[in-house]
Amino acid sequence: MARMGMVFDIRRCIGCNACVVGCKQENSLPDGVFFTRTLSEDYGVYPNAGRVYIPTLCNHCEDAPCEKVCPSGATYTREDGIVMVDDNKCIGCNSCAVACPYDQRTALGKDLFEKGLFGEGELTAFEEQGYTRFTPGTVTKCDFCSERVDAGLDPACVVTCPTDARIFGDLDDPESKPAKLIKERGGRPPMPEKNTKPKVYYVT
Amino acid sequence: MATEARHVQNSLKDGKWIRSTCKMCLHSCGSLIHVTDDGVINKIEGDPTNPSNNGKLCPKGNSAIMRHYDPKRFKQPLRRTNPEKGPNVDPMWEPISWDEALDLVASELKKTIEDDPRKILPSLEDFQKMNVWNWPLAFGNQNSFQSGGTMCGGAYHPVNGYIHSSFAVANDAKHCNYWVNDGTGDGFSSHLHAAAQANWVADARIKRGMRCVTIEPRLSISAAKSEEWIPIRPATDRHFALGLCHVMANEKRCDYEFLRKDTNAPYLVGPDGTFMRNEEGTIYVWDSESASAKLWNDPSLGELALEGTYSLDGKECKPAFQKFLDILEECTPEKMSEVTTVPAETIIRIAREFSEAAQIGATIEIDGRTLPLRPAGYNYYRGAQGHKHGFQTNHAFKMVNFLVGNIDAPGGLCGVTLDDQWIDKSHIIPGENGMIEPQPHQLGPLPPFAYPPTTAHLLNYFPVGLHPPHLNMLTFENPEKYGLDFKPDVMFVLHSNPLWAMQGPREKWFEFMKSMRFIAVSDIIPTETTVWADVILPSHDALESWNMTMIEPPHTEGMCLRQPAVEPLYDTKSEEDIMTELSERMGILDAYNEVINIVSGFHQKPELLLQPGRKYSDKEIAERKGLLWNDKPLDWYIEHGHSVTPRRTDKWYRPWEGLRLHFYIEDMVTLPRELRQKMEDAQVPFRDEWDFDDYQPLPTTVLDPVHSEPPEYDLYGIFFKDIQINFGESLSNPWIKDIVFRDPVHIALILNPKTAEKQGLKSGDIVRAESPHGMIFGRIGVSEGMHPDTLGVSNSLSRIKVRHEGVRHAGGHFNDLLPYDLHNTDAVTGQPETVCKVKLTKLDDWPEALKQGKSVYDLVDELKRPGKAGSH
Amino acid sequence: MATRDFPIVGDSLVLGYRFQRHWDNSMATAFFFGELGAGLFLIGALYGSLISMIFGVSITAILKTYFHMAHMGVPGRAWRAMIRPDRSWISRGFISIVVFTGAALLNILLNGFGLAETLGGGAVVSAIAWLMKVLSIMAALFVMTYHGFAIADSSSISFWNTGLMPVSSVAYSALSGVVLALSLDPAATAAGTFLLPSAHGAALILLVVTTIVLLAMINAANRGSPGARKSVRLLLKDGPYAAWFFGIVMAVGLLLPFVLLVLSEPNRLVYLVTAAAILAGYFSFRVLVFKIGLYDPIISFAPET
Repeated sequence: MARMGMVFDIRRCIGCNACVVGCKQENSLPDGVFFTRTLSEDYGVYPNAGRVYIPTLCNHCEDAPCEKVCPSGATYTREDGIVMVDDNKCIGCNSCAVACPYDQRTALGKDLFEKGLFGEGELTAFEEQGYTRFTPGTVTKCDFCSERVDAGLDPACVVTCPTDARIFGDLDDPESKPAKLIKERGGRPPMPEKNTKPKVYYVT
Repeated sequence: MATEARHVQNSLKDGKWIRSTCKMCLHSCGSLIHVTDDGVINKIEGDPTNPSNNGKLCPKGNSAIMRHYDPKRFKQPLRRTNPEKGPNVDPMWEPISWDEALDLVASELKKTIEDDPRKILPSLEDFQKMNVWNWPLAFGNQNSFQSGGTMCGGAYHPVNGYIHSSFAVANDAKHCNYWVNDGTGDGFSSHLHAAAQANWVADARIKRGMRCVTIEPRLSISAAKSEEWIPIRPATDRHFALGLCHVMANEKRCDYEFLRKDTNAPYLVGPDGTFMRNEEGTIYVWDSESASAKLWNDPSLGELALEGTYSLDGKECKPAFQKFLDILEECTPEKMSEVTTVPAETIIRIAREFSEAAQIGATIEIDGRTLPLRPAGYNYYRGAQGHKHGFQTNHAFKMVNFLVGNIDAPGGLCGVTLDDQWIDKSHIIPGENGMIEPQPHQLGPLPPFAYPPTTAHLLNYFPVGLHPPHLNMLTFENPEKYGLDFKPDVMFVLHSNPLWAMQGPREKWFEFMKSMRFIAVSDIIPTETTVWADVILPSHDALESWNMTMIEPPHTEGMCLRQPAVEPLYDTKSEEDIMTELSERMGILDAYNEVINIVSGFHQKPELLLQPGRKYSDKEIAERKGLLWNDKPLDWYIEHGHSVTPRRTDKWYRPWEGLRLHFYIEDMVTLPRELRQKMEDAQVPFRDEWDFDDYQPLPTTVLDPVHSEPPEYDLYGIFFKDIQINFGESLSNPWIKDIVFRDPVHIALILNPKTAEKQGLKSGDIVRAESPHGMIFGRIGVSEGMHPDTLGVSNSLSRIKVRHEGVRHAGGHFNDLLPYDLHNTDAVTGQPETVCKVKLTKLDDWPEALKQGKSVYDLVDELKRPGKAGSH
Repeated sequence: MATRDFPIVGDSLVLGYRFQRHWDNSMATAFFFGELGAGLFLIGALYGSLISMIFGVSITAILKTYFHMAHMGVPGRAWRAMIRPDRSWISRGFISIVVFTGAALLNILLNGFGLAETLGGGAVVSAIAWLMKVLSIMAALFVMTYHGFAIADSSSISFWNTGLMPVSSVAYSALSGVVLALSLDPAATAAGTFLLPSAHGAALILLVVTTIVLLAMINAANRGSPGARKSVRLLLKDGPYAAWFFGIVMAVGLLLPFVLLVLSEPNRLVYLVTAAAILAGYFSFRVLVFKIGLYDPIISFAPET
């Protein structure tokens, strides 16, 4: 069985956050909700100052703490390793959000669907067609665009990325692009000390 | 809604994909638009078949849906009912019919044209529709109130026209191994087809190990991603470039063969600065072998001298290259270091690295041609070139490239045309004496010299200028002094927001706007400018209309079709329909059709010419432009979306083969002389104030006047954008808002921490920043990524309160701090200074006026509040 | 992990510590009432204060549930919370609340109101009554503890991820139960049964124990990971929390009650004041623990200097 994962090429990422907007488009995300974020990290002292850009999203951990703490069984792992939230089961207790060391989960407040993206209490046609997928009050997160994956496509952020800094594929397939990249350039998972076995790696 | 039950992800819902072209900035990136069966646009992606953007879109391109569905869009023509006008005064719009609106606007315009067409002040800035952009030519008007010229590349474009005969330039990402960015984000975050360039540059960096060096006062995205960031004092980039040239010339690290063969560097310059010519006007060179002067095209020529002083007809003369060496003598790394703050060792090291990377002498075989391979390019743009001495500054950057022979060479700095119009057209025209014909007027011919002036922004006195719109303020404040015998009082604006972008204090521009008798604005959403309109003519957005264009694509060529993805949401019209309807009512339709014919190049295929007496739609003009390019009908374009291919290498690499480039720009000697004479003859009263010294055939070390502001202004103020807010407006877009105001670079006036400490300031302090020209307010942030002499201000803090809920004001526009006078304007090109000196004063609180309403800082505080962050 | 001092970044696109914001004041209040009610019930059961038992189970069953529902995104599906006791402390807690409420009510009815005798006091009835007594006490103990486990279970928030968290839960829960029982029911002031000290004495001991556990927890966090240290700094030094912690949690919530219990003549008024002070401190502690929770920076790429 496949084990879908992603590699972030830190040298490629320019921190433009096109991925974030691409994701918001694809997933009809309400105002201020993120399935992925690209963070910046400043370091050093002038004139030797520098900055790196660090894309983040749900790491689809093999030992997912969010799944472990979920009292309702809403969080589950697909056979291909994608960690999902069934919003028909989620009760919105937020235990998963607290348990995720990567802070990748967001509760969908009811007000989000009333205010709308323009904050004027009026939903656009885009929102009308998109918000039907959400159950207000539940907790949501990135699912690697599981429907696109099922259709044989890469996640939206991956196809959006102007610099191809996001590389997606089956980590168990030694010939896949991400598997090769991890091997060739020494992929590092985020926060290995949390023992969550992320399926997301960073190469520098 | 069975479809939505099946799929929740937008790109997979039942619907259709349409190939079109992005218009979230001026560049024409290919896009795929997904429209659901219910007719809703729910996903826009880059078109993977379009090589001009490599299937990618930047964050702005990704957010176009939110422009389309913006609830504040103008939904029908509107007429003002409130006679009082002000920056935040409710116009009390009253909906009117299109006929009423067009009749009203046309009659005002017609009346004015009949009186004096110079009284119309146009600001048309739809850069993807040059046929609309040039509409005022239909009634002989060459005024301009649009900021594009100066806030873009007022000096950049004319100098590119001189050197490459092109509109823009780009480093050749396909072969470059040493990429220098000076005051630009090319390849990372800005400028030409940003998403595609970022893709190529990332590939070059990762796969080929291309080294990048960024010279900039702040740690921009480009600087952050480069192997080396060289912080520099603002407005001294020319000195850095000249320092590099000094080292390369002194250490003989130049491509002398290129300079001899492909440029006018060996042409002999006489004591008056012009080339030495015989009676027929043929230019002399010095033949080293025979030790004699010969004509440049003499078949008996041996090796041409680049250096030395010679005597011809009793006159002392030197090769142009020697003239440059004379200038470079004083440009030692040590002296340039004092000006730029860049250590002399760094200047020396970069000069060596750059020239070594250029592999002078190497060649490469491409499409059957043996070409010089010069895989090092010194690229630059707005930040580095936007200065009083803009022409010289651009020229200095070119010189770094000239010396290594990389102009239009594989791996070097290559000319990028705006739009070739048809596939077989060359942008190069042979000029006199074996040189290419300079084409500084990349956006069309300029008005001829005239006194009294025929243009309110004095364009009559800038023979190689782009529009200097800030000078409208000079003639407004002092019409007598500038001999203005007319007063512009009718404004026509289309997709332009001069009240946001214009430099000089807003308060003054408000007075300027109040002096207008009538203002018509065509736009999509409310802006700083629309609030002043008497009539709003709402246009379709880019997802509802037709167009065919290509805007300055590096590496590619072709045409990109924009086609409607959906029916217009509201009672709007295309720009073409608005302009032709107005033209017809004004009685200038035939003249306008002819403007379109000229601007679009339809004379090249006469069967495409627009005929008198007919109105042509956006679709019909788009179709003709497609036919002009490659004879393909509209249906072909509708299916394919574009005809973009990699640029033919004979057009991309050394398209001027056999001609010589203008290393020495002789026009800079002859043009000011002619201008001075004309001004003298016409007794132009302000001729003594005209900076004829700005005209230099070779770049010099003259300091921009910004460095001589009174000492109490102890910091340099700079202004910047990044990829999320590139080019035109996007801050009202909720998705852009979501990413911009979470980025520390965009939410404060930024100082180096040591500077902040010296100023007694800390992060979060509210300050007033004053320049000799204006003031703004803001909140201090600190970053090690800022030159200690510098206050950095993001464009995200530039909005003032407008009647759009999504727009958040900050503490005033940085451009308020900039001058609008002649002293700070390049007398060659009209490029104004875009850096200022500022002093900071700590305040206890915001001024009252800034406390009301939603500000950027309110949002930022909300996002930082513990326990509240996120959307719980 | 993090060797540099990262900033706290809110919801910005910057690498750094991010505030825990998913469990809010409502959740803190629910936890507070859950523990308080169970503690009060336990003390009531141990010291024979029926009124404390009734108040205890009511607080847990009504107030805790109310605030949980207020926090829960889809309260209509609350029942689903119980289906994963094998791995989720929330499920275990949910079940323990149900068991506690049921057993406690039966215990109160059968033993407290003498329903067992009314029913004839047969062997079966007595066995059930005894069983309910034991079960309700055990369930109360579980409820007192599980909140701490539910918080400490999260390895994502360093300050929470300590074995002392459930200990603090029990200590605070018992302490507040004792002082509330003392102020509610003078009968509870009687000497303890079995090996228990008097309730007054127990309150003093628990005050000391709670203080020690709290200080030990903060001390351990301060010597722990940078994230936990950052939380401690928030609690003790930075921002609005230090005043709240030292003023309410420490001074009003622990020191003042200790002084009152040691120095004043024990009477109802003193107990009332003591209880109010301890509850204020305890509630503040519950809220503060959530407020100072921080996620660590995900991954740093700054070159080592």
